[in-house]
Amino acid sequence: MNFQTVGTSPYRSGGYERVTGQQRYVADLKIPGMLETKLVKIDCARAKILSIDTTNAKKVPGVRLVMTAGDLPQPVPRFGPQIADRPVLADGEVKFHGEPVALVVAETIEAAEEAARLVHVQYEELPPAFTVAAALDPAAPLVMDPSLRPDDPLAKTNIFKEHRFGWGEIDESKADLVVENTYSFPMVTQFAIEPHAFIAAPDRDGIAVWSTIQHPYWLQKILANLFKLPLSKVRVYAPDPGGGFGGKQHTKYEPALVFAALKLGCPVRLVLTLEETFQAVRRTSCDTFIRTGFTRDGKLVFQEITANYLMGAYVDIADRVVAKGSYAGAGPYNVPAVRILSRSILSHTPPATAFRGFGNPEVNWAVESNIDEGARLLGIDRLEIRLRNLAKKGDKFIPYDKPADGDWKQTVLRAAELVGWGKPLPPSHHRGIAIGIKLGPTTGLSYSLVRLLADGSVIIFCGTSDMGQGARTVFAQIAAEELGVSYENVNVVMGDTAIVPYDQQTSASRSTVLMGNSVLKACRSIHAQLKTRLSKSLQIDESEITVEHGIVKLPDREAPITEFIKTALGKLGGEFVGVGEERKDAEKDHPLGGSACFYEFNCTAVEAEVDKNTGDVTIARYVTVSDVGKSINPMQVHMQDEGAAVQGLGHTLMEHYIFDEKGRIRNLGAADYRILTTMDLPKEFYSETVENADGPGPYGAKGMSEGALLCVSSAVASAVGEAIGAAIKDLPLTPERVWAAMQAPKSNSILQ
Amino acid sequence: MNKLIPVEMDINNQHYKLEIPPNKRLLDVLRDDLDLIATKECCGIGECGACTVLVNGKAINSCLMLAVEADGAKILTAEGLSDNGRLDSLQEAFLEKGAVQCGFCIPGQLISAKYLLTQNPHPTHEEVVEGMAGNLCRCGGYERIIEAVISAAEKAEEKK
Amino acid sequence: MHDFEYIRPKTIAEAVNFLDSQGSNVRILAGGTDLIIQLRNNDIQPSFILDLKNIPELQTGIQIKNGFVSISATVTMSDIILDPLINQYFPALVDAAKVVGSVQIRNRATLVGNICNASPAADGAPPLLVYGADIIAVGTKGTRRIPLNDFFVRSGETTLQKGELVVSIEIPLPIKKMGAAHVRRTRRRGHDLASVTLCCGVEETGKVRLCYGSVGPRPVLVIDDSGVLADEKASEEAKAEIFERMFAQASPSKKSMRASPAYRLAMLRVLGKQALELAISRLNEGGGK
Repeated sequence: MNFQTVGTSPYRSGGYERVTGQQRYVADLKIPGMLETKLVKIDCARAKILSIDTTNAKKVPGVRLVMTAGDLPQPVPRFGPQIADRPVLADGEVKFHGEPVALVVAETIEAAEEAARLVHVQYEELPPAFTVAAALDPAAPLVMDPSLRPDDPLAKTNIFKEHRFGWGEIDESKADLVVENTYSFPMVTQFAIEPHAFIAAPDRDGIAVWSTIQHPYWLQKILANLFKLPLSKVRVYAPDPGGGFGGKQHTKYEPALVFAALKLGCPVRLVLTLEETFQAVRRTSCDTFIRTGFTRDGKLVFQEITANYLMGAYVDIADRVVAKGSYAGAGPYNVPAVRILSRSILSHTPPATAFRGFGNPEVNWAVESNIDEGARLLGIDRLEIRLRNLAKKGDKFIPYDKPADGDWKQTVLRAAELVGWGKPLPPSHHRGIAIGIKLGPTTGLSYSLVRLLADGSVIIFCGTSDMGQGARTVFAQIAAEELGVSYENVNVVMGDTAIVPYDQQTSASRSTVLMGNSVLKACRSIHAQLKTRLSKSLQIDESEITVEHGIVKLPDREAPITEFIKTALGKLGGEFVGVGEERKDAEKDHPLGGSACFYEFNCTAVEAEVDKNTGDVTIARYVTVSDVGKSINPMQVHMQDEGAAVQGLGHTLMEHYIFDEKGRIRNLGAADYRILTTMDLPKEFYSETVENADGPGPYGAKGMSEGALLCVSSAVASAVGEAIGAAIKDLPLTPERVWAAMQAPKSNSILQ
Repeated sequence: MNKLIPVEMDINNQHYKLEIPPNKRLLDVLRDDLDLIATKECCGIGECGACTVLVNGKAINSCLMLAVEADGAKILTAEGLSDNGRLDSLQEAFLEKGAVQCGFCIPGQLISAKYLLTQNPHPTHEEVVEGMAGNLCRCGGYERIIEAVISAAEKAEEKK
Repeated sequence: MHDFEYIRPKTIAEAVNFLDSQGSNVRILAGGTDLIIQLRNNDIQPSFILDLKNIPELQTGIQIKNGFVSISATVTMSDIILDPLINQYFPALVDAAKVVGSVQIRNRATLVGNICNASPAADGAPPLLVYGADIIAVGTKGTRRIPLNDFFVRSGETTLQKGELVVSIEIPLPIKKMGAAHVRRTRRRGHDLASVTLCCGVEETGKVRLCYGSVGPRPVLVIDDSGVLADEKASEEAKAEIFERMFAQASPSKKSMRASPAYRLAMLRVLGKQALELAISRLNEGGGK
C-alpha cells in the first residue's frame, strides 16, 4: 500500500502551541471569579478523627469556605471506578498519609494556605498496615469497612480480591530443576511533570469541571451519579494533560471541589503540589513468590506464581490492575502448567491506580528474573532459554485465550542482534536480556465524528486524551490518509464531553487501535456519502464509482477526493459528516471480561557494568524492540518507547517511596524521590520496531507505549547479576543495594 | 498584610510597571498577574526546571526567586522566543527532532537550551547533557532534547 | 507563602543594624535557593526578609586582598566555576561548585549562603576547610575573622552571633604547593544532595588535609602529618590505617534516608582513595601556586 501520510513523521499536532508556550493546561486556565483551594491533611498514615475545629480558619480574611466530611450529605458520598469505597473527604478516619480531611476555599492561595494551617484536627493515631505482611496479618486492622462488601468472605481481611488463573496439572508436573524465589517491586509514583489540577463550577443548572483527567467520560458518569444530574448537565473539559501514565485516569478530588463550587456558587480551583501527587497516585507494589520448573534442556515445565500486590486504602482501579497484570504472568512462553494466584491487598497507603504496564512490570520482574536464574543453574544461555520456550505466532500460549499475535522471535532476535548478544564484551561489561508481554484492551467503545469541510480541511472530534503520546497526530494522519487531504489541514478536537462523542477511556495502549479504527470508519462513512453524492452530481451509477484511500476512481479518471468535494456537495454546499463506532463487547465467561485486542510485546537488552566499589550501575548500551504492527507515526513510536525505557530505568535504578515506622512517606517531592535526568542516561540507546502489519488497528497497527517499560528492570538485573555474581531480588537497584549485595554471602535457590 | 512594592521589569521586551507583595515568587507574578503561563510549576523547590526563565541573561528557577528581586531585571520566558509567530531555531529543532511530547516541561527546556547556547554556542554532546540536567522530563528519553539543542547550534553556525 | 516585609538595605551598616535590632525575626536572602524553599514549606515564618543584593559593598566579587582571595557574599556557584583565580589556586572549590544543584541553581546559589546554611552535606565546606578559609563577619561591634573550622557547630547552626552578617569568605593564597580535589557520593549522576562529601588536599611536604561531610552533624577536618598517604612507596595497608584514623570521627545518622550508615562509612573509604589520587595528580601538575 502506498501511504501518503501514514508511516511518515510530520510535526506533532499541538507541537507548535507547546513550543511557543501557548498550550493551556488546566492550571493555566483562568475562569472568571475562580477561587483557590488548599487541602487539609494530617501528618499521619492512619488516625481516627475526633474533631475538626474550623473556627480560626474561617476567620482568615478572604476565606470563603472550610469544608469537611461533616458538611457533605450524610452518609458521606463515596465513589470509585471499581467499588464506591472512597469518601469525598475523609470520613471519620484518615486511611493514608495525605488523605484530605478538609478543604479550604479562599480568594487567594495565601489565604487558603494560612487557613488550612489553622484548621485544627484532633485525632487519635492508629497503627497502620502499610506492607504486604502487615496487611495480611490476621490481626491487621481492616482498611475497608466490611459493610462495603457484604456477602464477601474476604471482607474480614485486607484482601480485596483473589484472582486465580492457570491451566494444566501443576501438581503432577515433573521438573528437573525448580527455581523458587521471592521478588519485590517497589512503590513508585507516576511523577508527571504536570501535577493534577481541577476546576469545578456551577454551569446553569448543572456543573462544569475542568480536570487533568485521562478518562473524561468516566469522570462525567461518576459526577452525574454523585450529584444526581443527567449526563447532559455534567460537562467535563479535559485539556491535554501534561503527562499521565495512568495516574490521571480516575476521579480524585473533583467531587469535593464540585460540592464546594455548588455551595459557593462560583468556580473553585485546586492545583496539587508535587508532594500531594505522590500522596494521590502510585503504582501497586508487589511481593511475588514464584516457583519455576524446567527440564534440563531449559524447557519450562510449570510456573507457579503468587503475586501479592499492595493497593492503597481505596481500590481505585488497582484491583483491575492486579487481575490484568497477573493474567499473562507466565509470560509469552509455552508453559504446560501454570498456576497464578494474585491478590489485591488493601493497605493504609495512598491509593494505587493505573500506571503504564498495568500490573505487568511487577510480575515480569519476578518471572524473567527466575528464568535467568534457571538459565544460570542449567548452564544455558539466557537468550537461548527464552527462545526455546517463546510462543510462535498462532500458539495458544494461554490455552483458552487469544493466540500469540506476532512474530515474537523476530523481535527478540533483533534486540539480541542490536545489543551484540554473544559477541565479545569489553572487560567488566555484561549483558542482560528480558521479554515482556501485556494484554491490550479487552473491551472498548470509541466514537469519533469526522467533518470533511467544503474546502478539503477536516475536523475530527474524538474523546481520546492526548497526554503526550501523540494521539491527535495519529488520528490526523489517518484522516489525512483516508480523505486525501493535507495533514496540516486536519484539526482534532478533544476534551469536552459536551461536544465530543463518547470514548470509553485512554488507557491500555488502546487509542491507535480503537479510536484509530473509529476514525477510519468515520472516514469510510464519508467515502460512502461521497460516492452517493457524486453519483447524483455526475449522473453515474454508484457501482462505477470507488472512493477509497483518499482517491475517487471514476470510469474515465481518478483523482484525489479534494478535487471532488465541491462537485459532490452540489449547489447547497455544506460538508460531509461521518461517524465512526468501534466497539469491542465484553465476552461472557472470560476471566478478564474479554480477550485482548492485541498483545504488546517487547524485548529489552542491555550492556552494563557495575562499579565494584560503589555499586553504581552504568548502562553502556540499551536496546528496546517492540512489535507494533504498523507505525502510523514512526517518530512518535520511538519517542514513546524511549520515554518508557527511561521511566522504567527509574523504578529499576532509583525510584521508591521511603516510609517511616509509622507509615508516613518520608520522601515526598522532588528532592528525595529520584528520577532520571539527562546525566543518568544509557551511553548508547537503540529503539526499533517490528512491523508486520498484523495488528487489528488501522493499516495493521497494534497499540504500543507500555511494552517498552514491561521488562526494563528484568533486563538490567540480568546484566547486574552477571556482573556481581548474585541475583538481586528487590528493586530499585540503587548503588547502595547493589553494593550491599556484593558484600553479602551468596544464597542459593532451592534445587530439586 | 504587608505593603505592595513598586517594581519594574522588562519581560520579553515589554516593559511592566507593577506593584507586588513581597511574598510572591517571580513564577507567580508571571503566571497569575501577567498571564504569561508558558512558565510552569511542578516541584516548587528548584529540582525540576519547569519554571526556568532567563533573568538578566541567566537561567534560573523562577520558583526560587521572589518577584521583588527582579526589580529592574530583563526577563525572557518561552513566550518571548518566537518572533511574531515565527519559531526560533531551538523551537523548530525541538519539533523536528521529536523532543516534544506532553509539552509541559518544554518551555523550561527551551529556556535552559537558550541559555546554554548563549554561554557555549558549540556545545559537545556532554556539555548539552550537563547544561540541560536541571530540566526533568518524564515523557521522553531526553536524547531528542539533546539532539535538538545540538541541531539548533549547528544551524546557527551554518547561518553565519 | 507567609507574609513578610522585604528589606533592601544599601549598605552593610544598614543591614547589620537591622539584623541587630530584629534578631531572629529576619532571614537573609542572597541566592534564595535554600531560603525560598523554607518559606514555601512554611518551615520558617520570618517577619522580614533582608535582600543583600543591593549592597554595593557586598558585590566586590572575587579578588585578591592582603594575601587572601576574598569571595564576597553575593558570589554565586556559577561565578566560582568561571573565575580564573579560583580555578588557578583552589580547583577543589571549583569541583564543589560544579556539583551544587543544576545550572539554574548554580546561577543563584551563593557560596557564602551555602556555608551559612550549615548543612553537613554542604559542598562548599570541605574544600574551604581544606584550603583553610576564614569567615569575615561584620556586626555592630565591628568585624570578626572566624576560621571556618570554628564556624560550624552542627546542622543548621554556626557561631555567627545575633546581628552579624557574613560579608565574605577569605582563602589564604597558597604559600606551599597543594593539590586538592573534592568528590562526593550521590544516588544518581544527575544533580543530587550528597550522601558523603570529601575533599582531600596533599601538600608538597606530604601533609594531608582531609575534610568529609554528611557523615555527622558538621563537616570534619582532619590533618595527617605522617606523609604516608602521599608516599607512593607506602603499602595499601599502611594508607588504609591512616585513613581509618582520619575517618574515626564519622558518625553518620541512622535516620537519613539518603544512605545507610554502613554504606556511608564504606564510601568514605572509597572517596578518600579517589580524592587522594586526584589530589596527588593535581599536586604533580603544579599544585595551585
